[in-house]
Amino acid sequence: MSDLNKKAPSILLEGVSKWYGEVIGINDISLAIEGGVTGILGSNGAGKSTLFKLLMGRLKPSQGTIRLFGIDPWKSTAPYRRIGYVSESERMYDWMTSLDFISTLARLHGMSREEAIKRSKHVLDFVGLEDVHHKKIGKYSKGMRQRVKIAHALVHDPDLIILDEPLHGCDPIARTSIMNVVRELGSQGKTVLISSHILEEIERITEQIVILHNGKLLAIGNLHAIRDLLDQHPHRILIKCENPRDLAKLFITSGPIYGVRFPDVGQLEIQTNNLSAAHDIIPSTLVESGQKITSIENPDDNLDSLIGYLLGGINDG
Amino acid sequence: MMDEKGLSLRETVWSQLDRKAGAIIELTIRQLRNRISTWVVLGVGFLLMILLLAFYVDSVREGFESIDNDGDSVDMDGDGYPLGQEIKYGHSDWDSNQFPGSSEFIQVSAIGYNDQVRAISGNYTWSGAGTLNPIWIDSNYVGQQWSGIINWFDVDNTSCPLGTVYEDWWPQYFGYGCHYENNEYFVYGKFTASGEIVVPDGSEMLWGYNTELFYVEPDPKSMYINEDDIDWNGILLQKSQGFDDDGDCLRYNWILDSEDGSFYYDNDGEPFDNDKNDNGIICDVLWLLDDDLDEIESIEPDSNVDEDPDDERYMGESSHRTFIIGVGKMAFVIMIGLFLPLFLALGLVRDETENGTLHYLLSKPIHRGEFILYRLLGYLAVTGSYVFMLSLFVGILTAILGPGEGIIRLSDIPVWLGIGFATFLVLAAYGALFNTLGLISPKYGVYISIVFGVWEFVMGILTIANPNWTLSAISINHWALQIIDSVVLLAWPDTLQLQQMASAFNLDTGLDIFWKPPAHTLGTANPTVAILVSIFVLSTFTILMLGIGQSVFKNREIM
Repeated sequence: MSDLNKKAPSILLEGVSKWYGEVIGINDISLAIEGGVTGILGSNGAGKSTLFKLLMGRLKPSQGTIRLFGIDPWKSTAPYRRIGYVSESERMYDWMTSLDFISTLARLHGMSREEAIKRSKHVLDFVGLEDVHHKKIGKYSKGMRQRVKIAHALVHDPDLIILDEPLHGCDPIARTSIMNVVRELGSQGKTVLISSHILEEIERITEQIVILHNGKLLAIGNLHAIRDLLDQHPHRILIKCENPRDLAKLFITSGPIYGVRFPDVGQLEIQTNNLSAAHDIIPSTLVESGQKITSIENPDDNLDSLIGYLLGGINDG
Repeated sequence: MMDEKGLSLRETVWSQLDRKAGAIIELTIRQLRNRISTWVVLGVGFLLMILLLAFYVDSVREGFESIDNDGDSVDMDGDGYPLGQEIKYGHSDWDSNQFPGSSEFIQVSAIGYNDQVRAISGNYTWSGAGTLNPIWIDSNYVGQQWSGIINWFDVDNTSCPLGTVYEDWWPQYFGYGCHYENNEYFVYGKFTASGEIVVPDGSEMLWGYNTELFYVEPDPKSMYINEDDIDWNGILLQKSQGFDDDGDCLRYNWILDSEDGSFYYDNDGEPFDNDKNDNGIICDVLWLLDDDLDEIESIEPDSNVDEDPDDERYMGESSHRTFIIGVGKMAFVIMIGLFLPLFLALGLVRDETENGTLHYLLSKPIHRGEFILYRLLGYLAVTGSYVFMLSLFVGILTAILGPGEGIIRLSDIPVWLGIGFATFLVLAAYGALFNTLGLISPKYGVYISIVFGVWEFVMGILTIANPNWTLSAISINHWALQIIDSVVLLAWPDTLQLQQMASAFNLDTGLDIFWKPPAHTLGTANPTVAILVSIFVLSTFTILMLGIGQSVFKNREIM
């Protein structure tokens, strides 16, 4: 077993493709990731899970090379000493307690039983499950299960953490607590890879993103830079309130808003060309109106719009 | 500093490997323990053992009661003397007039069929046909019609038919008599009288005297059970052994009777022959050795020698061994050895894939090949300890219930260890095979395994019937059964003798059905060689299957 190359980047992909028979999972992706939290964005079927399975040595690339810390994960399990992986699969050993589950898996990293239990308690504390670690996993809520999975991936203090859709199906409280955990990991200087199909989720965690679309690498870089581009495009904001007409009067007079619509009873849709400017005035305007607001939605502020915009940009170019 | 140094010493590659193995083995054990099907299979195995033990207590244990193997404890004619006692005195057990101490006819002379002189006078006991002019008749000398003794009360009431005997009329049976008008009699049978007798041409008359009747104490019937034990002194080089303890071979006049043309059959249902084994010594048992002169090849007794041995010693011991060998082969190796892997090993890796939990284990720094090995070890820890406990349970119970002087039969222990070991090797071989089949074809692996299981079952039965049959060697349990056969011979070296004694002395022990000497001794006839050969075959197969499974799994993409 060769020693892990300390200088090699955590993740290195060169011209990696993976196809299942005729179906292409990932198409010619080259990528290097080192340090910080990176969001892997893509709608369902974009190739996020295929990418992660390739990284975890579960699949063999059809083309190209993959290196984790300089080592091919299909041929060697050595990189996994430094990697924690949270799969999208929701299946667990429901008959085990979370402490059992994590400490058993921790021992596969070569820890002694005592060490594994000590470390497991520590990571369960870290994800906020210290009170329930003697309960069977089968009795946990969705969010708790997700946090157990994350804790299991952290137990050996890995340098690289890969999380496949960790926020999927979680309630808002669990979501927030998971996001905090991921941010904390990032601030500890670890390399974190987190996938999602919801832009807003990733936005709250990191600015460094990779966008996958139909198996291809669509964009890579800083989310804000991409968003700023997006902001120059028409945006819609949907406000649910008691009296849309009165509210519309207030908005139509302000600068960044160039149009209003009333799609349904109790709904107001405002249109803008400058999303950040609009965001600046919306809260004060709502307060000014004195109306009871039930929700604010941003139907264009999602991954599909972003991808659509990016694709449009490519097409334009 | 000390701490760090101590830690680094403990953190060797080996201890880490050890911990990974321990974790997966432990996980596998806990998973198996958490599955209901595991407990169902193990429970069924346990119930099977309880049933077999009930059978043991009911039939094998009862079978230790003494049996009259040669059937001479009966008293067919109801004269109070058992057959064995009557045979000693040379009497028939069909005639209540013949019994030990009954008066016997001793012949003095006779008028033959073709003798010139046809008349004789005197005071004798007679047997034959003639006309009697009596001086005195012993009318107390009576018997039943079929014993040939003339009943004088009947004779006085019977007038002879008109005409000449053997021309105009014939006597109806031996024991017939009738009177003429002139106080003479025609007699055809046995009687005691004084007077002149004229014997017709073509007839015969014997005369002599009856011995005095004397009283013989009737033997109890139980005396003729286990009365002719196997007299074997264990000295192999002494070929002629055995002694006719109950005297039913040594009785001299049986030979005379045989020459006489009246056949007697011995307890094997063959014509009585007091030198049936043709070694020139009457009423002995010939113990023939093999070429090396260290093992008995066959046992040939003369008629009725050593034919009613001590059942406690031979039947009980043999039945006990038959039970253990039968249970070891049928229940342990063939049934448990096949069903546990079928239910527990097939899904060792496959189930993890189906449950979607495999990635937890494979995203750790552990090789897939290692992973399969540890899974199998976990499965073996569960099934192996189960088999060990089950064999211990049945072993201890039968060792306490079984025949023998001690409280517990210590000589059974190595046999049970051998059975447990053979079953363990079978569990490992089938486990590796079924797990590999489940990996090669997750969909059809179970069906392939079942077909394979049927093959193994049939080959196992054939191996029990005849281990020398080449085809049956193309199976796994053939080799495990060889181990049991060999261990039996090592732990109970006299099993071969018991088996030969059973066939030589007609003891129905079943030992020859369930046990045969080991076949694969490479010509050495040494059971240890057979054990080593079998271990080699089984472990080679297991390692081969493990290797195939590992290489299949190593190149498998996990979706």
